[in-house]
Amino acid sequence: MAGVVIENLSTKKLMGIVVLLLLIQIACFLVGGLIAPSPTSAHTHLATKCIDPAISLQKAFVPHGPNACSKVSTFAEATEKNIEADWIVFSIMMPHRPNRMDRSFQYMLGVLSLDIVYKEDNEMGDEPELTILVEMMYNNDDNAQGEWKKMYSINETRKLNCEFFHQKSPEAEGYSYDCEPIPLFELGTVHHKYYLLNIRLPVWEVDPDTQEVVRELNTNLGAVQELSVVEIHQNGGFTLVWLTLKTALFPLVILAMIWFWKRIVQLARPPVLLERTILALAITISILNLPLEWLTFFHDMPYMLLLSDIRQGACYAMLFSFWIIFVGEHMMDQQERNRLRVYWRQVGSMTLGCMCLFVFDVVERGVQLTNPFYSLWNTETGRRLAMIFVVLAGICAFLYTIFLIFMVYGVFKNISMKRAALPHMVAARRLHYEGLIYRFRFFMIFTLICAVMTAIFFIFSQINEGNWKWGEDKHNIQYSSAFFTGVYGMWNVYVLAVLMLYAPSHKNKPTLQNGDTSEGSQVEFEMSTNVSSTAPSTSAALNPSGAASQAGTSEVYQLLGKVAND
Amino acid sequence: MKLEWFVAFFFIPTASLLAKKTTAASSTKWWSMVLSPSMTNSVTDTQGIINIIDPKLKILNKRQRRLVSQNRGTLAAINRAVKMAVSECRYQFKERRWNCPTFNKDRGPESLFGKILNSGCRETSFIYSITSAAVTHSVARSCSEGTIESCTCDYKFRGDSGNDWEWGGCSDNADFGHRFGKKFVDSGEKGRDLRHAMNLHNNEAGRKTVSSEMRRECKCHGMSGSCTIETCWMRLPTFRTVGELIKERFDGASRVTMRNDGSPSDRETESSFVPYNPSHKQPASRDLVYFENSPDFCERNDKFGTPGTRGRECNATSLGVDGCDLMCCSRGSTTTEIKVKERCSCTFHWCCKVKCEECTSFRTVHRCL
Repeated sequence: MAGVVIENLSTKKLMGIVVLLLLIQIACFLVGGLIAPSPTSAHTHLATKCIDPAISLQKAFVPHGPNACSKVSTFAEATEKNIEADWIVFSIMMPHRPNRMDRSFQYMLGVLSLDIVYKEDNEMGDEPELTILVEMMYNNDDNAQGEWKKMYSINETRKLNCEFFHQKSPEAEGYSYDCEPIPLFELGTVHHKYYLLNIRLPVWEVDPDTQEVVRELNTNLGAVQELSVVEIHQNGGFTLVWLTLKTALFPLVILAMIWFWKRIVQLARPPVLLERTILALAITISILNLPLEWLTFFHDMPYMLLLSDIRQGACYAMLFSFWIIFVGEHMMDQQERNRLRVYWRQVGSMTLGCMCLFVFDVVERGVQLTNPFYSLWNTETGRRLAMIFVVLAGICAFLYTIFLIFMVYGVFKNISMKRAALPHMVAARRLHYEGLIYRFRFFMIFTLICAVMTAIFFIFSQINEGNWKWGEDKHNIQYSSAFFTGVYGMWNVYVLAVLMLYAPSHKNKPTLQNGDTSEGSQVEFEMSTNVSSTAPSTSAALNPSGAASQAGTSEVYQLLGKVAND
Repeated sequence: MKLEWFVAFFFIPTASLLAKKTTAASSTKWWSMVLSPSMTNSVTDTQGIINIIDPKLKILNKRQRRLVSQNRGTLAAINRAVKMAVSECRYQFKERRWNCPTFNKDRGPESLFGKILNSGCRETSFIYSITSAAVTHSVARSCSEGTIESCTCDYKFRGDSGNDWEWGGCSDNADFGHRFGKKFVDSGEKGRDLRHAMNLHNNEAGRKTVSSEMRRECKCHGMSGSCTIETCWMRLPTFRTVGELIKERFDGASRVTMRNDGSPSDRETESSFVPYNPSHKQPASRDLVYFENSPDFCERNDKFGTPGTRGRECNATSLGVDGCDLMCCSRGSTTTEIKVKERCSCTFHWCCKVKCEECTSFRTVHRCL
């Protein structure tokens, strides 16, 4: 690769670019922290116990309002009135009155929790299984007056994980089991105003043809007292801020990308592998930036969740490939690379890992398009399959990290060897290597800062969440929103910087009469390092990523390797 | 006609008692709404909201009435709260000499828990604390049930705009329960004496117990279900847990006395009293406080309005307070054998009984003399 912009840039211009990127970064962070609300919110819905003696699955049972169902407040009352278990319909209307759902909520999740008390004569059995018959309906009329339209009618079985912390004795009657909340549904779209859940816990499984009872269901649940569903959605304010951010970053990266590719095309030679990789990275991040989500305000797009997972995954895959290729192309041994095939092991392991997650995601989210109550984790085989995917992805990530560390180690070894040899080299050759070393170190430090910052922000937002208390003043900084917008902005800035600084330079190769070029570039390097390291305190960053924090740990090794070599 | 009956039933005795002397009970009339016949039926109407223009509101003071009419649906929640408090109190004290007796009808509305409220003993502190906790708990529960509309997004406290919900979701329901409970329950405690300070402190202790027992549950829903995005919510504790904790505080309640430096504290906070025993430390916000020793509850006591333990069932084998020796205050007990008919070998579905057999057994019962 010929000289790139960063080698030939004057300190002044470099500073200008760094300051510009820094401003973008700070803006992203502040927008998340000060303007956006918290990314998601959860609302608890305690089910109303409606009575349906006819066991009719056609009717909608609404908890309140003018068309409210007839109901009981406790099951003791139901027993008194000789109401049977399969007459009970747990009815939940979302959201709580007087609110309505908004399309900006993007997605909606439901988590089911049961309140089961210990009763000596109605104890919970071993490995209780919960079979539920759920109907999901929606309504778009004002105040949910009109008819409820059916969305899904689904029969699901879930494992119940409960513990009882008291001694099982007559004295312990009336104490509750401690049950884990059960994931209920994931809707990739919030297109309607009101949603209604009618949940039944059937006691018989009836053969549809013969109308005979096949077996009993829900036999060892124990004494159920209450059923509640926690509904989680993305906050509308966060969606708006997020989409605005994407809309603003999209043209920026596109412009930088066009500029970068124009420079490449102007060269006499065909583009090298690294340049093509940078272009590919810019393209994937632009696809991620493309604010497709605006369309959800007009169209019902339940596949948006799957789509954004894929876009995000592709972006990670590209970023990881880019790192491998960049490091490989700066190996400074005499070996000819410049072909993707050379990196098949590294890129292959990473691709395999990403494919695992991709398949997992497509199965999970794909099936959820037709049955939002589905999850791979619900069944035994599904859980095993999911575990295989996740473990395989983990192994691949581990392999990738090892490869990357080895390569970075190799580069630093070569750098120190070349450094020792530099004074004895021919001037042109020396400049070539100095350029390579400078480029590489700048890139290393920049990447390291971004990865470490991502990890730090992630941990910080988690700790901050952990200390969260209810009833606190709501007007303080939203750390988790700032984390998301900040990290997203940071990786965009990263790609922008790579596009701008690693584009081929217009200037001719440094001339020989300029004897102190190497020194000059060294100074520049030192300065840019200083600037970069002040950036993180105010900056933040691509989407939340566990992978990025993994990368962060590998970067630490790289740093150690570097120090050792220096 | 029904209305007049209500007024006669609740208002007149209240008024006559108030006229005699203002007692602690004046602030706690609301407890007696549970005695109202229309309220004891727990099946709500089709609207799920009990009509607020109801004569029993006479038992609420002006501020409480305003609160209840501003927040539709809270009346039912308060009604349920009183029932919860009574049954939990009975459960926690079933093995003690004072077993949380309640009185209805004959004695006028403030006598739900009897004259014991006029004293400042440990038991009084428990009653105040558990009822206050029950209101917070029940209101928060009603919020998540959707029967109180004003709580889920408290527009009233943040100005108007339905935008709040779309922009940033809603605050936790327990927060509303706490605030509503504070306004509603504390509204009657206006005096500056030790009794009011004690009641306010115990009310707050009850509410704090509910809030501090909230459990945090989380769900990860980031990319491919990873924990990069995690949403958490608070889950209301069961009322049994709350009752148990308040009972623990009851056992370790601290006796307090008026601050004796003569400076009348101008705020009705815990700073207006100090520990009775100067070597003890100031009670914490969740501790129960009292200023008067309890009677032994052995015999009928007219000052405290307690019936004594005559006729109470006791446990012959226990060495604790429920044992015949302690329960009957060494008066001895009678032993009888009774035939009990019970439902047994029932089969259940998850909620309701399917069928039972009837069994007969003999049981030895000891009762205090």
